[in-house]
Amino acid sequence: MSGTLAIILTILAPVIGGLIYGLERVVRARMQNRQGPPLLQPFYDFLKLMDKRSIIVHSFHAFMGIMYLVGTWFSLYVLLSGGDILIAIFFHVLSLAFLVIGGFSVRSPYSVVGAMRELLHMVAYEPVFVMAAAGLYLVTGTFQISEILKSDAVPIFSLPLVFIAFLLTLPAVLKKSPFDIAEAHQEIIGGPEIEYSGKFYEAVYTAKWIEYVYAFFFVFLFAGGNYLLGALLTVFAFFFVNLVDNATARFTFRQMIAFHWYVLVPLVVINLMLLALWRA
Amino acid sequence: MEQVIGGLILLPWLMALAVFLIPSHRGRQLVTFLSLPVLTYLACKVWNAELPLFIHTPHWVETAVTVFDYLLLGYFFYQGIKFRSFLVSVLAAAQVFLLTWALMILPESYTAPIYVDRLSAFMYLIVATVGSIICIYATKYMEQENVDRENRFVAILLWFLGVMNFAVSVNNIEWFFALFETTTLASYILIRFRWDDISIRNAIRALWMNQVGGIAILFAILFAVKHHGVYNFTDILAIDKKTLSMIPLGFLAISALVKGAQMPFHRWLLGAMVAPTPVSAILHSATMVKIAPYLILRISPVIKGTLLAKLLITTTGFVFVAAGLLALTQDNFKKILAYSTISLLGLMMLTASMGSPIAVLASLLLILFHAIVKALLFLEAGIMEKLFNAKYVEQMRQLVEKAPITVLFISIGFMSMTIVPFGIFIAKWLTLETASNLLSHGAYIASIILVTVGGVVLTLLYFKVIGVMARKRGEFSHFRLEKLPFIYFFTTTLYVVATMVGSIYIARLSTDFINPVVKDIVGAAAQIKASGLTLYTPFSEIYGWQIIGAIVLLLLVPILAYFIHFRNTDRVYEYTCGENIEMTIGTYDFFCVSKIEPFIETAAVALFIMTLVFGGGLV
Repeated sequence: MSGTLAIILTILAPVIGGLIYGLERVVRARMQNRQGPPLLQPFYDFLKLMDKRSIIVHSFHAFMGIMYLVGTWFSLYVLLSGGDILIAIFFHVLSLAFLVIGGFSVRSPYSVVGAMRELLHMVAYEPVFVMAAAGLYLVTGTFQISEILKSDAVPIFSLPLVFIAFLLTLPAVLKKSPFDIAEAHQEIIGGPEIEYSGKFYEAVYTAKWIEYVYAFFFVFLFAGGNYLLGALLTVFAFFFVNLVDNATARFTFRQMIAFHWYVLVPLVVINLMLLALWRA
Repeated sequence: MEQVIGGLILLPWLMALAVFLIPSHRGRQLVTFLSLPVLTYLACKVWNAELPLFIHTPHWVETAVTVFDYLLLGYFFYQGIKFRSFLVSVLAAAQVFLLTWALMILPESYTAPIYVDRLSAFMYLIVATVGSIICIYATKYMEQENVDRENRFVAILLWFLGVMNFAVSVNNIEWFFALFETTTLASYILIRFRWDDISIRNAIRALWMNQVGGIAILFAILFAVKHHGVYNFTDILAIDKKTLSMIPLGFLAISALVKGAQMPFHRWLLGAMVAPTPVSAILHSATMVKIAPYLILRISPVIKGTLLAKLLITTTGFVFVAAGLLALTQDNFKKILAYSTISLLGLMMLTASMGSPIAVLASLLLILFHAIVKALLFLEAGIMEKLFNAKYVEQMRQLVEKAPITVLFISIGFMSMTIVPFGIFIAKWLTLETASNLLSHGAYIASIILVTVGGVVLTLLYFKVIGVMARKRGEFSHFRLEKLPFIYFFTTTLYVVATMVGSIYIARLSTDFINPVVKDIVGAAAQIKASGLTLYTPFSEIYGWQIIGAIVLLLLVPILAYFIHFRNTDRVYEYTCGENIEMTIGTYDFFCVSKIEPFIETAAVALFIMTLVFGGGLV
């Protein structure tokens, strides 16, 4: 991926993410046999939020919300600029840091519990991400995203179980059911984002759109140099995640971590071991 | 050069004597201050010299070491009787028996007993800088604790530095045993320093656990002499790998695991927390536990790729995860730090036993940055204890309102252990990439799972603590920095600056400073290159703009956060759905993890035995 394209994509990421989000709401509504909002609804929400009166708890908290946006944006650029895939994964922790510290910094139980759960999300999905990166390395022989995108090998054919594990962990990254424990609206009414409002909530909201691009780009990587297949995979992943989101109820955080550590990680490991066996 | 190395070993002893005798507090402080420039200068001199160096010693030194050995073991035996610890006495008696046996069968050896290579010089540098700064800090700390016994305390710390310098420069394993046990003695004296019941109990426990390590070394000597007729590190490393017996190496590895407080021997390091905080700082950063990765690095060229190395990787990787998990259940700040040391020591030994140049590089980076960061965190723990009365995480609530500098420093310390682009993170990244490279041989799959899982568990732990400190009531209405005593501020700032500069220039640091050490240990330098701030590895690269970007985000943000005030916004209280709740919120304590503690310990014991029996080839 060339440098300019990376910059353009990064700058457009909120728009792309917003469109994905809008589409998602439509798709979800159709799955529930509803009409649903228009495609551009997230952007209408955006404008509405910008117009709200600014109410904050304290500046530190509000500032962390903005930094969450900046951090996520930066980590997306690290991903899209074609560098090391592990570095890109770990940069995501950096962006998470701001959201979590922001969530912790107010004395609201919902926010604190939400921030803690946000960390538990990370504990759940990060091993899968890192081991998927190791799998991509085994197939393509490189950690460089730009090289993976050029490689002739199509990773998904060698890593089917890793791909399945990755698909099943996507709800945790995107905070969707059954792994929406961090923002569980019915119990902790939004978790770490509850204390944000107006423009500052807008920042958190936009950062989430960027996270959509971030997560789905990883799916794209599973097709290696085959961009058409990559697009198909991404679309499939999108529909799959929404289907799961609609069809499941929320887990507890223990169930989430147990599912990731005892089901998904072994799934990845089995795939990697078979791959190593095949090579040897 | 012999004099310089002699100076590195003996000067701290002389300074210790001076500190012990000088009656005035200022005078003692001055001598302690001098240790930093003097030792650093000498260490740099060794670093720049032609290495490796073999140094022959006069015959009487050998006799002196033997006599010292017996005196030391006699002292241990006496301590066992005095404090009615049967175990200590029995172990001391066993050591006397084994040592006598070893001395009787030791063949004549013409290899020099002192061997200084880059690894030793690297350790000298860490001891000289990180260790001395802790001693300086200790002079102030003791001022607030117990001035009467300050001279004794600081003297032991300084002496410890000399012992450590000696321990990393010996070649003769019998001498190494003597010094290994001397560090045990030093830690024993330091832990029981307060002379209350709990200190003595913990000191005795530290003593017997470390004695087990000593016994393992004696067995290593016996088996090395029996199989190969040699008892020097360089001689063992020179033996052809095909004929080399793994038994002595297995025992050496066990002694390293004990010294490195790996489970199930982790309790001594936790018990050490009862001592004054500088003790913890020095045990965790510059001295004592660093012998463990040092020893594994010494033997890593010959154990690379063997069953022993694989079992060591599994054992230490297991500890990396398990210690992190147990740390989640802790409430005491120092205990959290202790568990995370145990955990990271596991990672250091894991990378050291992988043995490839990049893995060894990662191990050395970990040793360096862990020494700096752990020293920083322990000093901050001491400051919080003395100035803000906060020993437990729960007492640190809203600390950011009272002590912004302290919180910033602690956050930098924690961040540097988990988040890009700090040194420890780079080491972890290198480990992961090396491990994935080994996956293609299908052998090391456990290591990558353990490294990733352990990494996220530690991240969870650190954020949990930072979160409690960052909680605050409202706006900084009248913002001011806390006043720290000069020595506290000076010592901690040095560490913070070292962490930041080291992390920014990580590429240069790795190629110019660490890589020569790697070359001396493995025989081949790691295939890394630096250009500007960018670090190129055979697998991939981390760019300078990524490092700078992350540093800016991580460092400027918390600082700016104090000064940014959003005007034209309205302040409200937290929205809690209209519920009337108490505003004191605790944090997760993960009691669910303590339920699995017995299983973790059982598994750790099993892994220990497996490492020794199968890895050491005792079957």
